[in-house]
Amino acid sequence: MAERAEERGVIPAQLPTRAGWKLPPPVRRLLTMPLRDPFAFAGIVIYLLFLLVAVFADQLATTDPTEILFLSTGKVAANMPPGAEYPLGTTNLGRDIYAQLVHGTESALAVGLTAALIVALVGTVVGLVAGYFGGWIDALLMRIADMALSLPFLPFVIVLIGFLGPDTSHVVLAVVLLLWPNSARVIRAQVLSLRERAYVEAARVTGASQVRILFVHIAPNILPLSFVYAAIAIGWAIITEASVSFLGFGDPDNISWGMMLQDAFASQALSRGQYAWFVPPGVCIILVVVAGFFISRGYEEVFMPRLRR
Amino acid sequence: MKLVLERFLHNALALLAVITILFFMFRLMPGSPLAAFINDNLNEDQQKAMLQQFGLDRPMWQQYLIYLANLAHGEMGLSFFQRRPVTEILLEVLPNSLILTLSSLIVAYVFGVLAGAWLAWKRGSWIERAAVPVVLATRAAPEFWIGMVLLALLSFKLGWFPSGGASSPGEAYTSNWQRIFSLDYLQHLALPVITLALYLQGLPLLLMRSNMLEVMHEEFVTMARMKGLSEWRIVIGHAARNALLPVVTAFALGVGLSMGGNVVIETVFSWPGIGRMLVQAVSVHDYPLAQGAFLMIAAVLAIMNFVADLLYMTLDPRVSHGRTG
Amino acid sequence: MMLSVEDLQIHYATRDGTVRAVDGATFDVPEGRIVGLVGESGCGKTTAVRAIMGVLAENGRRAGGQVRFKDQPIDARTTRPLLWREIAYVPQSAMSSLDPVYTVGAQIEEVLLKRGGASRAQAKARASELFELVGLSDRRLRDYPHQFSGGMRQRAAIAMALALEPSLLLADEPVTALDVIVQRQILDMLRSLQQRLKLSMVMVTHDISVVAYLCDEVVVMYAGQVVESGPVREVLGRPRHPYTMGLRNAFPDLLSDAMELVPIHGSPPDLRQTLTGCRFAPRCPFVQPACTSGNLDADVTNDHLTVCRRSAEAGTLRTAALDPATWQRSSSYATS
Repeated sequence: MAERAEERGVIPAQLPTRAGWKLPPPVRRLLTMPLRDPFAFAGIVIYLLFLLVAVFADQLATTDPTEILFLSTGKVAANMPPGAEYPLGTTNLGRDIYAQLVHGTESALAVGLTAALIVALVGTVVGLVAGYFGGWIDALLMRIADMALSLPFLPFVIVLIGFLGPDTSHVVLAVVLLLWPNSARVIRAQVLSLRERAYVEAARVTGASQVRILFVHIAPNILPLSFVYAAIAIGWAIITEASVSFLGFGDPDNISWGMMLQDAFASQALSRGQYAWFVPPGVCIILVVVAGFFISRGYEEVFMPRLRR
Repeated sequence: MKLVLERFLHNALALLAVITILFFMFRLMPGSPLAAFINDNLNEDQQKAMLQQFGLDRPMWQQYLIYLANLAHGEMGLSFFQRRPVTEILLEVLPNSLILTLSSLIVAYVFGVLAGAWLAWKRGSWIERAAVPVVLATRAAPEFWIGMVLLALLSFKLGWFPSGGASSPGEAYTSNWQRIFSLDYLQHLALPVITLALYLQGLPLLLMRSNMLEVMHEEFVTMARMKGLSEWRIVIGHAARNALLPVVTAFALGVGLSMGGNVVIETVFSWPGIGRMLVQAVSVHDYPLAQGAFLMIAAVLAIMNFVADLLYMTLDPRVSHGRTG
Repeated sequence: MMLSVEDLQIHYATRDGTVRAVDGATFDVPEGRIVGLVGESGCGKTTAVRAIMGVLAENGRRAGGQVRFKDQPIDARTTRPLLWREIAYVPQSAMSSLDPVYTVGAQIEEVLLKRGGASRAQAKARASELFELVGLSDRRLRDYPHQFSGGMRQRAAIAMALALEPSLLLADEPVTALDVIVQRQILDMLRSLQQRLKLSMVMVTHDISVVAYLCDEVVVMYAGQVVESGPVREVLGRPRHPYTMGLRNAFPDLLSDAMELVPIHGSPPDLRQTLTGCRFAPRCPFVQPACTSGNLDADVTNDHLTVCRRSAEAGTLRTAALDPATWQRSSSYATS
């Protein structure tokens, strides 16, 4: 019976083996998935690359992104074309675009990862609780989820920022408030189906506490789903922050890709054809978000495998 | 019929929840509780009128009910900076947003459905395997960035399209309809629509492809083959007809979602729509206008959600025709 | 001979190797007769029927053998003009075989219009006629598939199959999904239709009691091959292959009270492997060393074909097969 459960990818509890504790199959598959899916692997590589850039930002771009640079003649080094000294040129206020791009990575990853983590946490906990306990708790949580889903996304973020002020944490807050229902619903559905499985019944009958069942038996089987939605949330958060900054509601103390785009737009970079200014930030956003898509697709296959089409 | 009522109530309640949330958000702002509707920009008479109309000296729960009653009459207060009714301002710009949204979605969905079905047909080929990541990339790009790139290339560099606004200065029209169908308007509409459509097509494309792949394996498709029907009839008449159901629903939902997302596109192209109005209103703290714009977007979302429910109910015979036998 | 299948071989290409779903099947369908094609799931009966209609999955192909319809050889390409006009199909589950978004009437009319060259008026009239034939009210032509009950849906599927007056009907487990009482009604209806319209039929089923009830001839398949065939009374009354003997014990008789059901233990062999000797040997209670090697020849006496090394001892084996204990012992053979 234990082998059968393992085959289905669902396991009652950790298996002690001769060598010690073995990771339950769902967790194992979580970690090895990228090895089997080339796109997800590419996604992880992209994430790692950006992570490295963020960590070593100061080494990779020695100029201060906010510093106004001057030419030897004493004039502001404005709108310089890409060259040896400034690989992507300078803004119309004489700032190093390359430095901004590199340092923008820090902000993007900070926003993305924070938002993703909180959304995954909230969504998973809500989904678990709603699905497992059912009844009025479930009804209440789902009603709240419906309300969150009927708020138009970007307009709400804008209004919230308009009220609370242009701080990055407010962007994260807005994203979390509006994105948690998506993962909560799906996780809840999964919990509902898992709840009926035989081994959960068995655990209940043998007197395991609710908490134990929830966290030891059900949670591990939900984890890949949480990862799926976390990966999607990273991209969404980054794009939202970029959109908000572009509209002029961004955190002025924060160098972000969105802010670069807003700057470029407002400084007529489009009409001047300064592609080196506004194309790279967009490309970076695309890469990070697409990486998230690939990774989430990979985990989707792990959790809900379809026949290879 | 009972189902229709149920969905109507569900969406109406969702909208009510949004209205309520908005009401309390604006009341809980720092500053005087009157600040939501009254501002020094308005003259004395206007301020007095607002006080009366929204019962701003009454207890909170009464204000809430008055607020709802006013909304039902289309009364949303006066814009601080334009000093005229919010409703009037919004109705002027609503058509622009609707036209932008609908045009873009139609282009995106027609393309997406055809391309998605074609990709499903070409399953296993290198085209199909390369296409999916490319399409995902279009969904990963911020809409406004696509707009910026296209603006720089097609408008500023090549001069094919105007660079913003909905009309060239100096144009005059006898009626709104004439304006909308004028060549000038369409020229201004083109680039925003292309941009939006580029961004939006990913969803119907991937959805249609995925649905077609699933449906082609259904037993009734094999059955159609066994009857000796033509490939065209099988793929279009049977497979596509079934695969399209979720896509049509997605279209309706897309209209609602897009109205909110258009905020950025309208800003890039200076397109005079509700989204742009919302952004401007929030930046200058024109609270009545900001509230009104937000509510209008939320209302369109709720209506389109309901329309999507209706479409799903009427187009799928399994739902529209209950079991009788 | 209406249909003649000779040494048919159907292969499926899968990631784990080639599956020889049908590996040398030979049987005939005489004109005006009902032939039962019986065997457990995976024995190749459905595949054979689909191959005749030319609708195999993308990874399937006919790797050998010949199919002759009215003495003309046919393959996936040449079958096309015959589809539905001469050879029609009755599915196992009409629910999944009918398009859910069109009315049943529309689907019947579709085949009349597109394949039968009828006019709209003619198609409508014929559709009513067909429904009447199977005992359904023609008001129901306007209903969608999900609005029918299981039995009525099967009747509708049969009506649709008869639309273009085919000569051969291939029925793939048409009554398996129905309850016993409805099963009998449908089977009775099929027999009466067959007699009235002078149809030839192939009835694919895993239920031997259905064969006993309806069919004139029976073909028993196991692991992609034919192991026994002949007139129904002969084969079921005096089976000469151990598998057929086992099948008889495994099913409740439609007409009599339930007797003790004795399943055949084990499962069929893996069709990706190259198999030698008798494929039933691992599960056969009468297996002998000679059974597991070499090619087996068919033993034909009085139209009764058997592929078994011990067919000469059929009488003795038959008696032993009636005893449940014989089959209990066979469970000691592992399924490898």
